[in-house]
Amino acid sequence: MIKTASATLSPEILKDARRRERRVAWRQTRIAWLFIAPAVFMVSAFLLAPVVFNVILSFTKWQKFTGLDKFAGFANYARLFAVPYFSEALSNTAVWVVGAMVLPLAFGLGLALLLRNIPLQETFKSLFFLPKVMAPTAVGAIWYYVYAPHGVINSAVAGITGQPFDVGWLYDAQTVTPSVIATFVWQTVGITMVLLLLGLAAIPRDPIEAARVDGASGWQIFRHIIWPLLLPTVLVVTILNVAAGFTTFDLLWVMAGSYPGKRTLSLAVYMYYESFSNGAWAYGSAVAVVLGAMVIAVTAALAVLQSRVEKNIR
Amino acid sequence: MAIDITDQNFINGLIEKERRAQRPRGRWLVVPIVVLTIAYLTPFYYLFVTIFKTSEEYAKSGVLQLPTSLAPIVDNVVQAWTIAHLGQAGLNSLSYAVVGAALSVAFAAAAAFGMTRLNLIGANGWFMLIFTGTLFPFQMYLVPLLFGYQRLGLINSWLGMLLVYVAICIPFPLLVLRNSFSGITREVDEAARIEGASEWRVFISMIVPNATGPLIALFLLQFTFIWNDLLFSSILANGIEVRSIMVALQSLQGTYSTIGPNVVITATLISSIPTVLLFIVLRKYFMAGLQLGNK
Repeated sequence: MIKTASATLSPEILKDARRRERRVAWRQTRIAWLFIAPAVFMVSAFLLAPVVFNVILSFTKWQKFTGLDKFAGFANYARLFAVPYFSEALSNTAVWVVGAMVLPLAFGLGLALLLRNIPLQETFKSLFFLPKVMAPTAVGAIWYYVYAPHGVINSAVAGITGQPFDVGWLYDAQTVTPSVIATFVWQTVGITMVLLLLGLAAIPRDPIEAARVDGASGWQIFRHIIWPLLLPTVLVVTILNVAAGFTTFDLLWVMAGSYPGKRTLSLAVYMYYESFSNGAWAYGSAVAVVLGAMVIAVTAALAVLQSRVEKNIR
Repeated sequence: MAIDITDQNFINGLIEKERRAQRPRGRWLVVPIVVLTIAYLTPFYYLFVTIFKTSEEYAKSGVLQLPTSLAPIVDNVVQAWTIAHLGQAGLNSLSYAVVGAALSVAFAAAAAFGMTRLNLIGANGWFMLIFTGTLFPFQMYLVPLLFGYQRLGLINSWLGMLLVYVAICIPFPLLVLRNSFSGITREVDEAARIEGASEWRVFISMIVPNATGPLIALFLLQFTFIWNDLLFSSILANGIEVRSIMVALQSLQGTYSTIGPNVVITATLISSIPTVLLFIVLRKYFMAGLQLGNK
C-alpha cells in the first residue's frame, strides 16, 4: 500500500512538498526570532559583550583616571606574578575552593543522614535552609558581630570556661579566612542538605533492606549502596559550591572590610579592590580573566565527570 | 536444649526483642540533632536579643543576655530607617526585584517558547549563546559595565540597574523553561494552531498556563537574587536615590564606629524580612525551585 503510494509520487511533487515544508520552517523561524530577540539582545549586550570587552581591556594599559588605552600585550598578566598580592590572593582562593567544596558537603551529608527518618523533618529543613534566603550582606553583618572582640563566640567560650577569651577572628591573618569560610558553611549547609535529601529520597529502599537482611553494617550500606547512587547529586552540589568558593565576594567584603590585608582575601576581592578602590581597570580585568578561566576549567571538568557518573548509573 | 514455649521468661524475652525491633531506629539521634540545631540557631538568637537593646545596654551587658525591656526596638528601627534611608533603598530594591524578576522570567519564557515550540532553525545555537551567560563569574562583567554605563549615562540610574538584573536573570530560567516547555505535549499547540490561533496566543494561553509552577519558582529565585545583590549595585548605582537595600545596609555596617551594633543588626533584620517572608509563605515553590536546576 505504502509502497505503491510512494511509487506514484513523482520527483516534482516530492520536491514541491519539501519546498513547502522549508517555507513553513522559515516562516516559523522568523516568528521565533521575535520570541527569542529580547533574551538574545539582553544577554548579548549586558553579559557577553562585557566579557569580550573585559578580555580586550586586560591587554591594554588602562587607568580609570588617566584613561590611557594603549595596547600593553601581556604586561598586566606579567604584573600578576610580579606582585605578592596576587599569589597570596590565589592561595587564599584555593583555601576557599577546597573549604567550599568539602565542608558544606560533609556537614550537609551528615545532617541529611541524621534528619532522614525523623519526625518534623520539614521544620528542620526549613530552619537550616533559612540563612540561604538571607542576603550574604545581612549574614555577614550578623557574623561580623558574632566574631567581634566582645562578640558571641568570645563571650560564649569565656562564659563556658570561666577564662577570659579574646581571639581577633576577623583581624588575624591566621583566622580571617577560616572564619569567613565558617560563615559561608553556615549559610550553605542547609541548601546542600536539602539537595542531598532529595537525592537520598530517590534511592530505592529494596537494595538497602536486602543488604541489611544479609547482615551488612551501616557503613557498608552507605559505602556500597547509598554513596554510589548519591554521587550524581553530590557532584551537582559540588559544582555549585566550588563556583561559589571561587567567586564569593559579599561575605568577605562585609565581614573583613576592616581587615588591613583585605585585598588578598581572595581573587574576587583582589579584583574588586584593584579595579574600584585603586582604579586600575585593565589590571583588574586581567585578574577577572584569570579568575574566569579557572572557574570555567574547573566547572567544565566537574560537569564532564558528573555526566559520566550519571551515564554509568543508568 | 529444646525450647519450652510455655516458659514465660522466654516469651517475655521474645516480646522484648520484638518491641526493640519495632522501635524506630536511632532514637538517640535526637541528642546530636538538638545540640546541632541550637548551635546553628545561636546567631538568630543573638539577632533577636540584640534588636531589643539600646546601644548602652549592648555595650554593658553580655551579648547573649536577654534584654531588659522590649521598648528599644522602636528606637532601633527608627534609627536604622533614617540613618541608612532604608525606606528609599527598600523601595528601590523592591522595584528592581519585582520588575527585574518578572521581565527576566518573561523574556526567558518567550525565548524558551521560540526554541522549543516553533521550528526555529539553529535553536540549539541560540540556546548555547544565551546559556554562555551563566559560565562567567560576575567579576568579568564589572569593569566593562561600569565603563559602558559611564559612556551611556546609565551609571547611577534606576534603568541601568534594572537592565543588568534582567540580563543576569535570563539564562537560568531559560534552561529550566526550555526543559519544562518541551515536556508539554505537541498536540496542545497544534490544536490551537488549527483553530487559527496566532503563535503569541498559543504562547500566552496554551504554554504559559501549563508551566505556572516553574514560572512562580523561577520568579521567586530571581526575586531573591536581585533583592540580595550587593556587588552590582555597589558599583553601578550607589547614589542614595537609586541604591539597593544591601548597599544601604553595608554603608550602615561600614560606619560601625558611630552606630551601635543594635542598630546595624536591626537593619539586617529589616532588610531580610521580604525574602524570609516569601520563603515562609511560598516554601513549597522555593523547594521546587531547587530541583529545577538538576533536571
